[in-house]
This record gives sequence, structure tokens and C-alpha cells, in this order.
Amino acid sequence: MRHRRIGILSSLVIAVLALTVGWTVSAVAQDKPRSGGELVFVVPSEPPSYDAHREETFGVIHPMAPHYSTLLKVDPFDKTGTKPVGDLAESWTISKDGMTYTFKLRQGVKFHDGSPMTSKDVKASYDKIIFPPTGVVSLRKSAYRAVEAVEAPDPQTVRFKLKWPEGSFLLNLASPWNWIYKADILAKDMHWYEKNVMGTGPFKFVEHVKGSHWVGKKNPDYWDKGKPYLDGYRAIFISSSSAQVAAVRGERAHIQFRGFTPADRDGLVQALGNKITVQESPWDCILMVAMNHHRKPFDDKRVRRAMTLALDRYEASRNLPKIAIVKEVAGIQVPGTPFATPPEELAKLAGYWKDINASRTEARKLLKEAGVPDGFSFTFKNRGIPQPYEPLGIWLIDQWRQIGLNVKQEIIEASAYYPMLKRADFETTMDFQCGFIVEPDLDLPRFLSDSDANYGKSGDKVLDDLYNRQARATDPEERKKILRAFEKRLLDEEVHSMMTLQWNRIIPHSSKVKGWTITPSHYLNNQLDTVWLSE
Amino acid sequence: MWKYLLKRFLLMFPTLIGVAIVTFVLIRVIPGDVVELRLSGERGAASEELIQQERVRFGLDQPIWKQFATWIAGMPRLDFGTSMWTGSPIWDEIKLRFALSLQVAVMATVVAVTLAVPLGLLAALKQDTWVDYGVRIFSIAGLAVPSFWLGILFILAFLIIFKWLPPMVYTPFWVSPWQNMQQLIWPALAVGYRYSAVATRMTRSAMLEVLREDYVRTARAKGLAHRLILIRHALKNAMLPVLTVIAIEFAFLIGGLVVTEQVFNLNGIGLLFVQAVAHRDYTLIQALVMLVAGIFILVNFFMDVMYAWLDPRIRYR
Amino acid sequence: MAINARADLATATAEPTSSARWWVAVRAFARRRTLGAVGAVVVLIMIVVAIFAGPLAPYDPLAVDFGAMLTRPNAAHWLGTDAFGRDVLSRLIYGSRTALLVGFGAALLGATLGAVLGVGSAYFGGRVDLYLQRLMDVFLSFPLIILALALVAILGNSIPNLIMAITVPMIPRAALVIRSSSLTIREMPYVDAARAAGFGHARIILRHMLPNVVAPYLIMLTAFLSQAILAEASLSFLGLGVQEPTAAWGLMLRGAAVDFAEAAPWMGLFPGLSISLAVFAFNLFGDSLRDALDPKLRTL
Repeated sequence: MRHRRIGILSSLVIAVLALTVGWTVSAVAQDKPRSGGELVFVVPSEPPSYDAHREETFGVIHPMAPHYSTLLKVDPFDKTGTKPVGDLAESWTISKDGMTYTFKLRQGVKFHDGSPMTSKDVKASYDKIIFPPTGVVSLRKSAYRAVEAVEAPDPQTVRFKLKWPEGSFLLNLASPWNWIYKADILAKDMHWYEKNVMGTGPFKFVEHVKGSHWVGKKNPDYWDKGKPYLDGYRAIFISSSSAQVAAVRGERAHIQFRGFTPADRDGLVQALGNKITVQESPWDCILMVAMNHHRKPFDDKRVRRAMTLALDRYEASRNLPKIAIVKEVAGIQVPGTPFATPPEELAKLAGYWKDINASRTEARKLLKEAGVPDGFSFTFKNRGIPQPYEPLGIWLIDQWRQIGLNVKQEIIEASAYYPMLKRADFETTMDFQCGFIVEPDLDLPRFLSDSDANYGKSGDKVLDDLYNRQARATDPEERKKILRAFEKRLLDEEVHSMMTLQWNRIIPHSSKVKGWTITPSHYLNNQLDTVWLSE
Repeated sequence: MWKYLLKRFLLMFPTLIGVAIVTFVLIRVIPGDVVELRLSGERGAASEELIQQERVRFGLDQPIWKQFATWIAGMPRLDFGTSMWTGSPIWDEIKLRFALSLQVAVMATVVAVTLAVPLGLLAALKQDTWVDYGVRIFSIAGLAVPSFWLGILFILAFLIIFKWLPPMVYTPFWVSPWQNMQQLIWPALAVGYRYSAVATRMTRSAMLEVLREDYVRTARAKGLAHRLILIRHALKNAMLPVLTVIAIEFAFLIGGLVVTEQVFNLNGIGLLFVQAVAHRDYTLIQALVMLVAGIFILVNFFMDVMYAWLDPRIRYR
Repeated sequence: MAINARADLATATAEPTSSARWWVAVRAFARRRTLGAVGAVVVLIMIVVAIFAGPLAPYDPLAVDFGAMLTRPNAAHWLGTDAFGRDVLSRLIYGSRTALLVGFGAALLGATLGAVLGVGSAYFGGRVDLYLQRLMDVFLSFPLIILALALVAILGNSIPNLIMAITVPMIPRAALVIRSSSLTIREMPYVDAARAAGFGHARIILRHMLPNVVAPYLIMLTAFLSQAILAEASLSFLGLGVQEPTAAWGLMLRGAAVDFAEAAPWMGLFPGLSISLAVFAFNLFGDSLRDALDPKLRTL
């Protein structure tokens, strides 16, 4: 009898197990990547040159990143976009003193022309980035000031020697712009890569028709066997945003990798139903108001404080996401990332108080104290970009009206914007910050007194000191404390700058596109090696 | 007549040179330059020395007259230089876009003429009747409606009513006429309708003028058959000012369709112009202006030739 | 029809007082050229609305109201609200002010300056004519929008600069038209006679040439008005014209209006209609004015 019961019990268990396994297998089989197909996506702007070391626009990354590999990359499946993983680097070790980073490279990686990739290619590429010869532009040189030298002791090893330990170095190396070029080509002509493509990436270059499109096809010798899944891709250059949305809606394109507006998203969902999948994420971009510290009355910190107190960020956070690509109330780091200040702490800073009436009363009081009359008029210079510069400009002006400030907006055309900022030819202006990875060492240097990007020209030695201390801090908790103090001084005590709302990245795409996860930066996850089409 | 034509021909050159000089100076007065723009991208911070270094490479540090001389020297060889933004030869940048803009311009002109001549004629023959009013309202509507608004309505109508979208990428006519037409017929219609407005009114008033001439009046008095013959004769005389208008408008269609191109997402000369100005790409702007101005001046000369041929007052000078 | 015109004109000239004569001429115009009269009435309504925008507009055009974002036309907001909850009707009313300001400003300046150049060029002839003509040709070769674009880039964004940017391309066009009208008068014998009699340039120009170019000038002005309004709308649409949060029709057609074209069509519909209506009206009026004033077309 007992045997029979055990028999029944065990058959039941086996049946359940079999069912579970079968169900899991079929579920996984549904998610199993399918090979084949051409991904079609739209890109709002074209690459001015083909060399990522000297460009900063996504117009280079989106169509071209699939042709190249980098030493390290940001984990494409990590939604916070803060984890470095190896691309060409198989593994790495860090010396105890934190000043030497040794990378072991993958074996058998080939360039698209068949030649093997070795450490001398990595060294040559990084020498070009960190120690560019005269006549060669490298935009990221200053990010690697800590590097003493790059060495290639043997064909599979690359070593970085630093002048001082830097906690964020690995993240810094995972920059999507640090494409690995061929050393032999660089030795012959440092400018070759500005007009040509030769990389180790998952897709080979086919053609670029100016003003029209960019085509890439699968690299059959890609080191990651089995990938890429796609046969190829086609990037179509469309500058008008309504035309881009129309392309996705008319099912002529699968996806756009930068971001669409809330209205676009709603329209697409309504029109295509479940043929559209929407992915959203906080975006590592934020707009700030810069005030010229050398012009009256913005040299008076009471006036600056009043201006930030006038802004009802919480009301904006509830309403603006319906019409603009902004969402969360933020301090100096993207909300939800390791070093971001929790909301309860943030609410203590000027401009983040929950009681807006108290806030605005205080603001009016400060203006009066500083001798600013009611109805005082000044100009706010803004970039002429529809999202989110325009809506935020309208919002800011309306908020400042509530404390009796009469602000005139002046739109400066993109080309004239940087010269205007550099010359500090403004009273107040819209300042902006876009990063590829959320890390205080990359986001905060602009507020330092010697930074080229400190357009308001606030020279604050205390702030500089706080920054340096957090950069050298090795204990995360200690670092957080110093960062809180930095934030308080920047946004509350001295109000050298004021944050608006964090951008919100909205990517509605064809449901056929699988294997792509959204990250906070539109510079990340563009290699397309993990992407596949479901039919 | 030949002396007159020779004079007109020779006058083309000072105009072209004038355009070259004005463009050269005008774009250099606009603040900001291509180097600053290239190196500032989206994060806006590149050192001053880097910028100066690059300026030398583009020759932007030379005095203006020297830059002008270098550029002019390339003209006879038809060497327009390379784009400052992308570094590719200018002709490469322009050729595809020029083909597209030219095709749209031609198609729009055909649409305009097809609409304008019969309608203008009709309105003139039936002046001050409801037909006349109808034609005038129809043609002015084409002028009054902002082209970008019309374009947005078009695209929306396609998507919502027909659930269809015109092709996004340009296929040249000789590669696939069907694809090509699918994309370009709509902007051609929108633009053509707009330009028919001017041509319709011109046809109408030119016809009215001619119809009041004595010989037409006499013909009317004589009877219907004669009237028909003379209307055809009158039409020929009326066509001259109409052709002038059409020719001048055609010249403006190349490069002037900035907003239409943006709305219909056409990769044409208008958008290239806007981009070039935004990028401060001096060489590209100069080449584009010379191209558009050149076409305009050539068309004007062609009109001079036509006038000289057809207008006896000039012909028999 | 010719007989009617004669009769009307006869009645008109028979009236004793000038104001009564003027009024009768207007009525004659309205009766004979209905379309033009309709156009004129619309233009007048626009001007009145623009002047009395303050009392006419139900809301402050700049007032942001997050509680009423993107509401459809209803009792509270007759034409609905935009993405910021601002009343569309009020913004439309104040927008007429901007449109007319830029429109009249640019058209008047452009037409007048161009007329001066055209008359001068025709009168003085010879070298002056040749050089001025070439200069005008040079500027005519630039497409209007491109020239305006470049000027805005140089001068910067503000209403006076916008007016300048639209005026400059209009000057050569005006000069061309006025010059050809002036040329026909220049050829007339009495001008030569006047010169022979020793009359100064200014006197001849003012007394003989100008009155005869008044008709083409007025007709051109109405054409320019509609072109200026369209130019302002196009430039604002491109982001180079009037700036937020000022209410302007072209500005109301960009950004959110395009984004929400399906979900909230009233945002873009009414400004588009206003622009079309304004341009329509000016054109109809101008057309009829030309029909009435052009001596060649007068049925006398």
C-alpha cells in the first residue's frame, strides 16, 4: 500500500516537475531570440564626421556605434545604466593602491577587414583620446587627467597607470565614445577615421547616403558567437519630429533611440494599440537656470534664492509630464541612482519646500530686502529647441511672475548659444547637462570655479573643496555625506544654480523589437548586438 | 535685338559677383562659427586653444579678402570646395537634394500651370459673375493657407483616414518612378496649388487687359466665330506676362520651400540651406546661394530673351 | 456693366461735399466689388480687435492654468485651451495685435522704402538706375525666407528685428514694381517739359510721378501685408520669429500644436484659420482695389 502511495506521489511530483519545466521551456522558447530581419530606425540628425573621439552628438552614436567595440561598456540590460561590463575586455584587476588597472582582452577578435585586434590597437586608440598629437581633436581628453600612461605589455593585456586613485575610473572608461580603432591605420593617418569606418563591432558598414540613410550589415566574424541576431540595420535621417512619429506610426520604422514626447507616445498607443511597446526611464539630462554672478542683481544671493523659491517643482512634476519630456523633481543626481538625495532630505532645500505659499512669501521678502522692486524686468535666454526647453521656459517665466518678476524670454539660435554662454552675455539663461553615465565625478565638475562650463562664473572655493573631498572619498557613506553638503551649498545656501525637473526618456517602439532595454542615457545601448525582431 | 540681348547677358555677371560678395560678407557677420559649433555639441565645453587650432585648419583665421580670393579662384575650375561641417565635397552634398528640389519645382509648376491657365481664362471671360468670384476665392485660398499647416493636415489626413504614409526616403525617378511619385506628388500638389494663385490672377488680369483691346472689341461686334479665333490670338498675347510670373516663381521654388520640406520630410535644398546656416557652414551656404541665385538670374535672362523675341517693340530696335 | 460704372461715378462726382463723395464712392465700390468689400470688412474687424484686445479678451493670454490643460472648446473657454491651460481665444485676439504690428510695420516700411528707390531709379535713370537695379537684383536672388533667416541670425530675436528681417527682402520687390510704373510716367512728355522749365527734381517727383504710382503702391501694399503676415507665421513656426510666451499666430502653430494635432486639434486649427482669413481678406481687398484703380481696367 505504502509503495503504491509513494508511487502515486512520485508520479505526481514528476508530473508537476515536467509541467513546470515544460512551461518554463516554452516561455523561454518564446523569448528565444530569432535571427534575421533588418531593424529600421530613425535618427534626428546626421553625423558631422565619423570619428567619435571628436564628436559629441547622438547623431554619431546611433548610426555608427554598431560598427565598433569599446574596451568596457555600460551593461545594456541594467536599467540604472551604472554598471560597467567588459566589451573587448574579458576581465580586469585593480591594484591595491587603486593606481593600476590591468585588462585582459578577448581572444580572436577581428576587425572588419579580417586583421586581428590586439592590445596595441587599444593602446593606440586610448593614446589618441588621452594624449592626442597636435592637430588632432579629442573632446574627452580632460576626463582622463588622472591617467599617467597606457601600456600594452603583451598582445592580450592593456594596463592603465594613474597619477592618483580615482573611484569612478572604470565607469569613465565605459564611455560609449571610446571606440577602438586599428593601430596600423592610426599610425599612417590620424584623421582617417573622420571619413572612414573600420571597427570590430557586430555590424559592418555598407553605405551612407547623405541626408538620407545609413546601412549596416551583420558581421559574421563577430567575437560573440550567435550575435548579432539581426541581418542588418538601416538608420533613416529625419529631422522633423512629427515626420519621425509618422514613420513609426506608419510602420515604416521600428524605433527611434532618442526619445519621443508624451503626446507622441499617447498618439502612437492610441493608433497602434499593442503593436507598440513603451519603455520609459529617467533621463540623464537636466536643465538648470544659470545666473550671471557678475551682473546686478544676480550677484546678490538673496535674489538668486528668491528665484528658486518661486518655483513650485512638485506642481510642475504633476503637470508638465503630460506635455513635456520632464518628470521627476531632482537635485544634483538622477533620482533613483546610488548618490541621489532621498525626497524627504531634498524637501529641506530652498525651492523644494512642500508649502509653496510659504516659499513664495519668503521669496518676496528676500526680493524686498535686496531692493528689487515689484515688476522688476530682466531677460532669460533660452535655446530654441521645442522639447523640453520651450515648455520649461514658459513655466519658469510664469512661476517668476508669481513673485512679481517680469521676465522677457529671448531665444538664441543654437549656433549662437555657446558663444553667448562663453562670453557670459546673459542675465539669466537656460543651462543644461547631459551625461552618458550617472556619476558625481562626471556630473559635478561644471560647478567648479575653474570649469569652462561654469557659465554663471560663480567662484566658490568651499564648493571646490567639497568636490575634491568627495572625489577622493573611498567609503560610499562618507561620500554621500559630502555630496549632501555639496548639494546644500550649491542649491540652498549660495544658489549658484537651480535645477528644474529631470528629463524623462520615452521610447515607444514597435513590439517586434526585442532585446533592447532602455537606460537613462540615449548614448548607451546602441550597439544593437542584443536586439532581435520577433517576426 | 542682339545688342539688347548681349547687354542683358553681360549684366548677369556683375549680379552674380554682387550676390557672391553680399553672401560672403553677410554670413560672416552672423555670430558664431562652424568650429565652435562642432566642438561644443550637446555638452558645450571645449577649450579655447582647441577651437583656435581647428580654425586654422579651415582657413578661418585668414583675413576676409584672402578667404574670398581663395574661394573665387576655385570657381572657374568648378571647384566649390568642401563642406566645413562634414568635410565632403560640396557637389556630393548637393546633388541628391538638388535633384529632388528640381523635380518638386518642375512638378509644382506643371500643377500650377494646369490650374492657372484654364481658371484664369474662365474668370476673365466671365468677369464679375459667380464663376469669377469662385475662381478668385479658390486661388486666393491657395495663397492664404500657410503651407506648413496644409502639410500637417495632409499627413494627418493620410494617417487617420487612409492609414497610409508616403515613403520617407527619396528614390530618384529613374530608379523607381512609382516610389518616387508616391513621395513627391503630395508636396508638388500643395506647392503647385499655392503658386497657381499668383499665376491665375496674372492670367485673369492679362486676359482682361487683352480682351479690352480694340481689335477684340471689333471682333466681338462681328460675331461669335471671329471671337473664338481672336480669343486664341488674345491668349497668345496675354501669355507673356503670365510666363514671366511662372518663370520667376519657378526660380523661387528651388531653395524657397524650407517649411514645406520640413513638413513633408523632403531631403531638399531648402532644408539643406537651413541646416547650413545653423551650422555656419560657409562653403556650403555660399555654394547654395550661388546655385539658387544662378538659377534665378538665368531664368530672368531667359525671360529677357523671350520678351525680346515676342515683343516687336524690342525685336525691331 | 460699363454703363452702370459710368452712372455710379457720375453720381459720385455730382455730390457737393468731399466726405459725401467719398462715402458714395465706398458704397459704389461695395456694390460693384462685393468680394473686395468683404475683404475690407474683415480687415477692419481685425484692426478693431487688435486695438481693443484688452477689453475683448476674456482671459490674460499669458495666464498658465495647470488645472485646465488641453480642454476642448466649452462655455468657459470658447475656443479651448492650449498645453499650458492658456485660453486660445484670448491668445488669438492678442495674436492679431502681433500679426498686424509685424504685418503693417514690415509692409509699410518695405513698400515705402522700395517705392522711394523705385521712383528714384526710374527718374534719374542712367548710371543710378543701372547700379540700383543690379543691387536690387542681387537681393532679389535670395529666397525670401533664407534672407529673413540670415537677418534674424544676425540681429537676434525680437519684434523690431523681426520686422526688419521681413522688410529687407520686400524692398527690392517693391522697387521693381514701382520702378516699372514710374518708367511709364518718366517717358511722358510733360516730365521733360517740366525739367526744361527748370523745375527741381523734388518738385517733379512729388507733383508728377508720385501721384501716378499711388495706385500700384496701394495694391502692392495689400499684397505685402498678406506676405508679411505669412512670413511672420513661417518664421515663428521655424522658431525664428516672435518668442514665447508672447501670443502670436505662427507661434501658436508650432510645438505643442503639432504634437497634439490629433488629440487637441483646436490648438492648431484656430490660429491656422486666423492666418488664412487675414491673408485672404487682404488679398481680396487688394485684388478689388487693383481692379478699381488700374486705369487700364477702368471701364470708362
